[in-house]
Amino acid sequence: MKRTADAVIIGGGISGLSIAVHLAQKGVRNIVILEKRFPGSGATGRCGAGIRMQWGVELNCLLSKFSVDYFEHINDILKNDVDVEFWQGGYLIGAKTKEEAAQFKANVSLQNRLGIDSVYLSAKEAGDMMPHLDTSKIKAATFCGRDGHLNPFRTVQAFARAAADLGIDIEKYTTVTDIFSESGRVTGVRTDKGDILAPVVVNAAGGWAKAVADLAGVELPVYSRRHQILVTEPVEPLQSAMFMGFAWNIYIQQVPHGPFIMGRGDTSEPTDLRMTSSWQFLEQMSQTVMTLMPSLSRLKVIRQWAGLYNMTADAQPIYAETPELQGFYLACGFSGHGFMLAPATGQLMSQLILGETPDIDISSLHIDRFKGETPLPQESSVV
Amino acid sequence: MNRIENHPILTFPERKEIAFRFNGTDMIGREGDTIAAALHASGVKVLGHHFKSHRPRGFYCAIGNCSSCLMVVNGVPNVRVCVERLEEGMDVRQQDDKGVLP
Repeated sequence: MKRTADAVIIGGGISGLSIAVHLAQKGVRNIVILEKRFPGSGATGRCGAGIRMQWGVELNCLLSKFSVDYFEHINDILKNDVDVEFWQGGYLIGAKTKEEAAQFKANVSLQNRLGIDSVYLSAKEAGDMMPHLDTSKIKAATFCGRDGHLNPFRTVQAFARAAADLGIDIEKYTTVTDIFSESGRVTGVRTDKGDILAPVVVNAAGGWAKAVADLAGVELPVYSRRHQILVTEPVEPLQSAMFMGFAWNIYIQQVPHGPFIMGRGDTSEPTDLRMTSSWQFLEQMSQTVMTLMPSLSRLKVIRQWAGLYNMTADAQPIYAETPELQGFYLACGFSGHGFMLAPATGQLMSQLILGETPDIDISSLHIDRFKGETPLPQESSVV
Repeated sequence: MNRIENHPILTFPERKEIAFRFNGTDMIGREGDTIAAALHASGVKVLGHHFKSHRPRGFYCAIGNCSSCLMVVNGVPNVRVCVERLEEGMDVRQQDDKGVLP
């Protein structure tokens, strides 16, 4: 393992990989990614891997739009031919109440103003688009055809291969045990396989972001909670769009080779690092999907799993250099959307680190917003 | 018929006949049969084809684990016929795709 680096990225998930690749593409040569297990073994490989531009707050719209543009050209950008299975079948988002429908109308006008071609649909129009959806359950819906989903494993592979091509060192099965600093500047990290001196250390540890920040003596206002997903047996194509319903706490998609994937979190569960599966999820999710899409009751469940959401109070990410420790950067608190935001994360964090002006103004995503002076609006379009 | 009629230890009492259809053809099974057992006894060895390789799939694990015997039963796809009891008048069809939900 290298003894010195220009930048150390903690976390070999999609965020860490994207930051490293973007830094290398901008000319940084000596980059080390430290990964506790293997790339994508955390939330990245456990997520629904959906991407949507239909958000309720401006920054999430802009960040996800950047990422959709990126994923549409990922092979050209990363200079490899890994098929990331980017399926742009759209997201259909159902509103349960009149109040939610009104909110959706406002969301669509915000999205349209930002160049996102989403549309507001009646329940009938939503039913025409998704015949197996029981439209008596929804008041209205919104749809954006450029939204969709990817294969998270293939996407990790695409970034990891690009990282290898760019000479980035990915240290697997390596755990960070300490972060060094000297007079307010980060100077390196200690791992279970030796020390690395570096002027830049990035915390992209996803669910473990708080524990990593603790090593540097930085207090992070984030917490983690498991979300669960189940996958069914494959069937012939039935559902092209991802369906999402915030009021029912569900997202459900059919992946290209046929199985349905559906997931949610449970806010009554404790906030910790557990990634076990529960029978309650299986039962409750089955009930929800049978209410909304009765014909899917024929599907048999193959298996289920869990992964960690790293949450902030406003459900928006933290992109920042820590005020108390120069050179220690944060890319965390993605609140369940780290996968879809990863291209933007890489671009904006690399610009932040290199002192360039970020393509999107992310100053409001600074960690200082939680100190109460400049709070951000709460993102309510979340599952 | 591929049924064991005489066995040195076990005895097989006469069971009631059950009529069903396989790919539109009338067939006869016996009460207590699984769908797969009735088909096997009637000489049906190919239960479907793999959706991708199109190779024939037959009776394999017989305990509902292997997915080799998925068939369309009364319009419902992906039924594991090795663990599904035969019923009077069932419509059983070979499945050559991933299954289309009714």
